[in-house]
Amino acid sequence: MGSGKTGRFFSYAFLTLSIVPILVGYTWLVIATVSTRTRGLLPINAEGGIGGLTLGNWSFVFESAIWSAMLNSLLIAVAMVIGVGIASTSGGYALSRFKFPGRKGFLTGTLVLHAFKAEMLLIAIFFVLRWLGEIPLIGPYIGFNSVGGVALVMVALELPLGIWLMKGFFDNISWDMERAAMIDGAGRFRVWWQIMLPQVRPGIAALALFTFIAGWNAYLVPFTFTIGTKVANMPVYLNQLISDTAPVNWNQVAAVGLFQMIPLIIFFIFTQELLLNIYAGGSKGT
Amino acid sequence: MRVELENLSKAWDGVVGADRITLDIADGEFVAFLGPSGCGKTTTLLMVAGIYKPSGGTIKFDGHVVNEVAPKDRGIGMVFQSYALYPHMTVFGNISYPLRIQKVNKTEIKERVQKVADMMGIGDLLDRKIVQLSGGQQQRVSLGRALVKEPQLLLFDEPLSNLDARLRLTMRGEIKRLQEEMGITAIYVTHDQVEAMTMADRIAVMSGGVLQAYDVPTDLYEHPKTQFVAGFVGNPPMNFFDVEIVAMDGEFRAKSGSIDLALPRDRAEKAAAAGKDKLIMGVRPEDIYLVDDAEPAAPGRTLTAAIEVVEPLGREDLLGVTVNDVEMRVLVDKTKGAAVGDNVDLVFDMSSVQFFDPETEQSVLWT
Amino acid sequence: MTEKQLSATEQLMEQEADSLARAAIGAPKQPRSSLGRRVRSTVSAYGFLLPAIALVITFFIIPGILLIILSFTNLSSANFTEPWEFIGFANFERLFTDPFFPKILRNTVFYVFTTLIFFNLGLALVLALVTTNIPRRRGFFFRLVWLLPRLTPSVVYILMWKRIGSADPFGIYNQFMPEVLGASGGNLFLGGAPWAFVILTNGFVGASFGMIIFTSALMSIPEDLITAAKVDGASTWRIIRDIKLPLIKWPLLFIATYQTLSLLTSFEYILLLTEGGPGLFTTEVWALTAYKRAFSSYFGNSQWAFGATWAIVLVAVALVMAVLYVKIFKFNELVEEPRIENL
Repeated sequence: MGSGKTGRFFSYAFLTLSIVPILVGYTWLVIATVSTRTRGLLPINAEGGIGGLTLGNWSFVFESAIWSAMLNSLLIAVAMVIGVGIASTSGGYALSRFKFPGRKGFLTGTLVLHAFKAEMLLIAIFFVLRWLGEIPLIGPYIGFNSVGGVALVMVALELPLGIWLMKGFFDNISWDMERAAMIDGAGRFRVWWQIMLPQVRPGIAALALFTFIAGWNAYLVPFTFTIGTKVANMPVYLNQLISDTAPVNWNQVAAVGLFQMIPLIIFFIFTQELLLNIYAGGSKGT
Repeated sequence: MRVELENLSKAWDGVVGADRITLDIADGEFVAFLGPSGCGKTTTLLMVAGIYKPSGGTIKFDGHVVNEVAPKDRGIGMVFQSYALYPHMTVFGNISYPLRIQKVNKTEIKERVQKVADMMGIGDLLDRKIVQLSGGQQQRVSLGRALVKEPQLLLFDEPLSNLDARLRLTMRGEIKRLQEEMGITAIYVTHDQVEAMTMADRIAVMSGGVLQAYDVPTDLYEHPKTQFVAGFVGNPPMNFFDVEIVAMDGEFRAKSGSIDLALPRDRAEKAAAAGKDKLIMGVRPEDIYLVDDAEPAAPGRTLTAAIEVVEPLGREDLLGVTVNDVEMRVLVDKTKGAAVGDNVDLVFDMSSVQFFDPETEQSVLWT
Repeated sequence: MTEKQLSATEQLMEQEADSLARAAIGAPKQPRSSLGRRVRSTVSAYGFLLPAIALVITFFIIPGILLIILSFTNLSSANFTEPWEFIGFANFERLFTDPFFPKILRNTVFYVFTTLIFFNLGLALVLALVTTNIPRRRGFFFRLVWLLPRLTPSVVYILMWKRIGSADPFGIYNQFMPEVLGASGGNLFLGGAPWAFVILTNGFVGASFGMIIFTSALMSIPEDLITAAKVDGASTWRIIRDIKLPLIKWPLLFIATYQTLSLLTSFEYILLLTEGGPGLFTTEVWALTAYKRAFSSYFGNSQWAFGATWAIVLVAVALVMAVLYVKIFKFNELVEEPRIENL
């Protein structure tokens, strides 16, 4: 690098080289979805020559399994946005603005949990989910092997980050505004709902985007806590296609993969700045 | 509403924000809390507002202790330095917010908001967003929001600090006029002594969490009770000298190494009565003059000084001078044409000289 | 009078006295007592925290305790219906005497530090330095592309890498340069170079986090400092060494500790790519072992208790590190005291 011409050249050469594997991966994904077969990055026809483009790989869109998986993915993602949203905006507000016994402990705990990856707890969460499943009436919807159960676990896992993120946003709001509202006659709940929440809308949007993506992409938790195709979400469904004992149709798999990336591609195109910020933000509490 | 503070204190983990503040504010009075930043004036105001919980002492409104009353039940309106408007609401939304919380019926809200807005001169801006307003307009909205619920006590936390100088002047007059017309008791926190002097009926000067003085503006200026007040009130600040008071030939003189000035009898006698070897003498920069050629030097009231610094202030010049190593500030008319390096004769008008005890920093003239 | 009636009467009396007093003196509403106020303030804080607390207890605290209990039992899918029993430290003995224990430990250390040094820290830093040294928009573009792997669902992401590393005639790598890595047309991630692929897949996701953090740290360095150094005649390399690196010392340390923890406990990509293979435990790391013992039918039996034993050791290590990291970075001191005190 450097300001000289050679420096410039090496900068761009290095950066371009560094993204080759990423670009190659996506190029294959796109090409494969419209090819009968591929050799490396090349579409191959039945005779082994280049060609053989087809839309046949997309026939899965006429099967109900994909739509059920998509619905499950959507349910998990939306439930996460709502669950993490409520728990983080309320919890973050309390931690940012209230003085109460246990505040320091709670803050430290949130931080530790935020740094701590909870995947190791999945073994024990398995039993918690089985117990939740025993609860009369609502049990089947929030227990083991249910979309609700998966969503609950995912909400909990994202919560430390969400609380820390929202606390950072609340920290930045002027105390005077909250004081003014209290003098105007608002109680703390009203202050939170009518005055504070509208101020942290950018934070809520960032958190919603972040948790939606986390929910939409979720693999490990749904894979661990669901059985069979009925409750499978998109990533689990895709993985089932790959690990089928029958020979894998890689091109169809690619098409399913690209299909499940559609919302992500939309986010990627329209919320670039926000994405780069939120993936940094959660860790620093701002 | 009458407000009484008795030994009102606030401390956080040993850090003292306000230390046993005791003062009373009469119904309809306009009181300024004046002091440098960190002096405890805002802390005290926030305790009166109910945002901070006092660590000790009591706050009484019309004779009733309100220490435990929530801000919303105190019947107060407050205006903030940062305006603290709700940016997601319109002007109407902001001003009407207190009424909407009280569930006042819609037509009445409309009437009252319109009335207050007209009074503030923002009657035609009600549909605007807050971000579309200038600083002055925003502060009017903030004032409107505080007034619309017809409070019995108005609190101001440096409301004009964010405005430019000209607007500040206009708003100063306007706030004072409104307060007088409506007869609302007001507490006004500021670090700007001009603001305090021109607006307030009485000023509470604070420093280090302690109430230094509580008096009408002219008394603060003419009869400062502590050295801090003398130094803080008045711009440019008062000059202080370590002196001894000596009686000589039936005349009192203030003496130190290079200073020897005749004192007016009444003040000198009072000062001498304190029985201190050393005193701190205070002379305001505006009480020191350059000797006019036309006027002969007054004997016993003249010192020769060298000009070190000249700061043009527009109509006047502020001089930094030394009299044999003793530094002082002198405010003179521009026409004098003073220049750095000049040696000049200074005449001291000692009729309003002040004396303070060096240990307690209390005035020995006024108690 | 029953208790309920009593309290209701009390309340009524209080209300009456309250309103009487107010009517008589025109004073603002008086609350009952200082203690009551304080309790109410605490209650309202916990009210806001209620959803969070419920979730944390259900999915962190209870599972944490459960994990400890599990590790002292013999619970597995084989005896799920029968009464299971406490077996003391037998699981821990079994863990440390496992013939593959040294290998798994070595794998874990190798995986964590190689990925950390070359990608999550090293490449992240280089990317941040380079992308902030070229025109803004272009730097932004490259960082954005680098964010893609993090955004991609893990299953799709690993699918791409699998196709890159597949055997001829499908593999993209084999199509273009089969001779490097000595794969000669074979499968790379399950043959020729499993570790390279494990580290690449994790590193390409891991690097972007550090890259973003370092970039914002670098961008917040005042331009004047760099200009001053240039005026003093410092070369690009010296500016990096003498000014930029010292100024982003804390972000570097932060990423180092945070990512160590993250790498130590995550295993999703390895599970999807190699499942710890090829062969026996070639790329198996600690976290993956815990998961597989508990959940996969690899050994024909879900050994929940034994998996929990592996997990609890790792949880203990991770918790200690997390606490240290909170202490090192003094996050507690960044916490501001609230400036409204509920009366």
